[in-house]
Amino acid sequence: MSRPGLPRWVSHLIVALLLFQASCARLPGRAGNRRMIVLGVDGMDALPNLDRLRQQGSFQRLATTIPPQSPVAWSTVITGMDPGGHGIYDFVHRDPATRMPFSSMAETAEPGRSLTIGPFVFPLTGGQVRSLRRGRAFWQILAEDGVPGTIVRMPANFPPAESKARSLAGMGTPDMRGTFGTFTYFTGDPQEQTRQVPGGRIVRVNVSNYQVELPIDGPVNTFRKERPRASCPLVVHLDPSEPVARLDIGETQVLLKEGEWSGWQRAEFPLIPGLRQASGIFRVYLRGVRPVFRLYVSPVNIDPEDPELPISTPSPYSRELARAVGLFYTQGIAEDTAAVRAGVLSHEEFLAQSRLVMMESLRLFQYELEHFETGLLFHYFSSIDQNSHILWEKYDGELLEIYRAIDRAVGRAREKMGEDGTLLVLSDHGFSSFRRAVHLNTWLLRENFLALDEPQNTGNEELFAHVDWSRTQAYALGLNGLYLNLAGREPGGIVLPGPQSDDLERRLTERLLEFRDPETGDAVVGEVYSPRKLFHGSSLEQAPDLIVGYERGYRASWQTALGAVPAAVIENNTEAWIGDHCIAAKYVPGVLFANRKARLADPQLYDVTVTILKEFGISPAGGMIGRPIY
Amino acid sequence: MGSTLEILNKVIGVLLERYVSLFGFARPLLSLIPVSVLAGAGLLWVFRKTSNPVSILSTKKRLQAHLLEMRLYGEEPVVVWRALKALLWDNLRYLRLMLRPALFATLPMILLLIHLDRFYGRAPLPVGRAAMVTVRLRQPIDVSIPAPVLHAPPGIIVETPAVRVLSARSIQWRLRPLRNVSGRLRLVFPWGKLEKDIEAGTPRHILSARRVRSTADLLWHPGEPRLGSDAVDWVEVNYPPASLRLAGFNLHWLVIFVVTSTLSALLLKGRFGVVL
Repeated sequence: MSRPGLPRWVSHLIVALLLFQASCARLPGRAGNRRMIVLGVDGMDALPNLDRLRQQGSFQRLATTIPPQSPVAWSTVITGMDPGGHGIYDFVHRDPATRMPFSSMAETAEPGRSLTIGPFVFPLTGGQVRSLRRGRAFWQILAEDGVPGTIVRMPANFPPAESKARSLAGMGTPDMRGTFGTFTYFTGDPQEQTRQVPGGRIVRVNVSNYQVELPIDGPVNTFRKERPRASCPLVVHLDPSEPVARLDIGETQVLLKEGEWSGWQRAEFPLIPGLRQASGIFRVYLRGVRPVFRLYVSPVNIDPEDPELPISTPSPYSRELARAVGLFYTQGIAEDTAAVRAGVLSHEEFLAQSRLVMMESLRLFQYELEHFETGLLFHYFSSIDQNSHILWEKYDGELLEIYRAIDRAVGRAREKMGEDGTLLVLSDHGFSSFRRAVHLNTWLLRENFLALDEPQNTGNEELFAHVDWSRTQAYALGLNGLYLNLAGREPGGIVLPGPQSDDLERRLTERLLEFRDPETGDAVVGEVYSPRKLFHGSSLEQAPDLIVGYERGYRASWQTALGAVPAAVIENNTEAWIGDHCIAAKYVPGVLFANRKARLADPQLYDVTVTILKEFGISPAGGMIGRPIY
Repeated sequence: MGSTLEILNKVIGVLLERYVSLFGFARPLLSLIPVSVLAGAGLLWVFRKTSNPVSILSTKKRLQAHLLEMRLYGEEPVVVWRALKALLWDNLRYLRLMLRPALFATLPMILLLIHLDRFYGRAPLPVGRAAMVTVRLRQPIDVSIPAPVLHAPPGIIVETPAVRVLSARSIQWRLRPLRNVSGRLRLVFPWGKLEKDIEAGTPRHILSARRVRSTADLLWHPGEPRLGSDAVDWVEVNYPPASLRLAGFNLHWLVIFVVTSTLSALLLKGRFGVVL
């Protein structure tokens, strides 16, 4: 149980508590009044203060999915199927026809027909946002059986699955730019240049006469032929001598001191003048006034009071929440790890931002908990996961504070449940350190599985810029995926399906398991999985041909995830992102706490789904592969 | 003129305060209904004193006659055309007859609405929430001169130094009430001091959002005496707008006022001998 990084007393407490597992399983109440609360805590490895829950019921390791990525894992919880059933294998999939990556969770379809008048384009049929996850969500099944459900911020649930349940979309919900979150950092630093960075933009500005006008970018304006990005101005007035500024957003004025966060501000993006506008919300952080002006603007989130895209069922639910608890982050992953990676937010500034996210999440949770009577309440907490990426093994005290905050939420859920009903607290995966970044495409190059147009064309250029497909047998994309360059599937693919591809998979697996870190001699890859042999179901068309499970301390580099081929095979991870879980699944199991004693010794994530349905007397749906845990 | 308006504002302010205190400051809807009925009655009184009911009545009868004429002789285009012309003419005549009482009613009604808005239209600063104080200067800001300093009464903290916005000739501060406060802000400039009332947290209060320098502005912002300085146009506290809760809806006070005063005027017009 003890893991490097957490204080020793936590490990001792956990061991001691395991010895005190109490047998407090109770018979469920009458079907009509059954109550269940499920708290999904992404990335949680162990909570220090769940002793009462543990004494009352059980604590177990919960096997995670292969690969142990949140969209994959939570899709498994949602559907009770493994990736072979729900079809989600990574944050990104690739289109075999182009080998280009796209979001695995949702896609947007443009309107089919439109009418063009002058510079304007009027859609005649509606566009569509569609979830790419297959299978039915467990709360859809519950709702059909008349069980009321409230599902708050479930990952991989954008757009939210249609049902009578109240649900708010979670991870996978885009910002107003249509990305997973793009911050903007305005700076007057003459050394800086306007440029894109992963997850954001750095924009060089000139302050003139103590004033600067900044464009806040919103959605692409599909009502105009040339499809420009809609924008709304943010005017900043700097005091001539004090470290303080006034920000004007439309009619709203905000005064901020250096080092302060604003509350949520509403931006109205004009689409058709006087007729149609899109509303978004954002926060700003005034990093500096002088000598250099520096302002961080959060990704512009979908406004929950006036959402441009479907983020809740029923659709007024997000408005109800916003009016009850105030505006809140709606983008799927709200903690801005991209900004801290880019050096735009310092460590402390990131912690402050992630605290804002957590406070909002706790307010949403408190609101739903107060209104919970019967049925199912699911609430997802992202804070431990996102903070672990930045704090793991290096900032234990700060991480423990977040664990404690979640623990207090668990305590409130226990109080609410009293003696009847079931309380589950689960995480989809654990965590490990990320010390060495593996450039898997470069390894493929060295092993002659991949070829470049010119040998010297290694570098950080993404999307296989210099790959010679006529000589390439395999390529890596995403955080764990490895694909064959298969004839008949990939254009110009050279590996024939059948014995040739089977042999290539075998050779790749063998070589990967023999892969040693040239600097330390340690094994880099712990496990290699073949989705077609491993998974159940028929949703295999997006499956990688092999899934690479790295050893502890290793992970695919950021460049690998987007198809770059840098010069080195492995490099030290020097970024702020120091913890991860996209490794071999055996190293990063999740955890499951319950106020009931478990029957299964080795529960899996898909068992949770069947367990929830059983709680309400409902049989598993077709395709579900789990067993009841209790 | 300025001091006369100040005295008038003071008198109306005191009367309004006495009036709303009869109902308790926390129950504004209760006090708004009677004042709306009184306003309706007051309008009728003005109409009785300044209108010509005989002419109004005869004009109304002629309007009805023309409408009847159009209905009865619908197949006679010449008659209908003549009736239409007469209808237009008598409409204008009716408006002219209403203009005189309307003009007499306008000034007292504007004064009344401005003063009522101080109580019903704005709420004191909410405790714990940030608010803003703005000073608008008459001349462009001289950045070589130190910024003024804002002193808040106990219970309110000033969270930022002054922000001088050169393009707007304004200086602003962010403050935050920590508890119920009824006091005065003190602004210290290099050339002197200014004061401004501030209210926070109390359930309702007769507020003065803006303290002004000019007499013309005093008509629209009657809550406090004019500023003594020529350097400052006005000082403002951004009180949040208030609404009244009626039958589950949040309504602007003017909606309730207009509906109630109109209904009461229609009901009471016979008693006042007013023809509308």
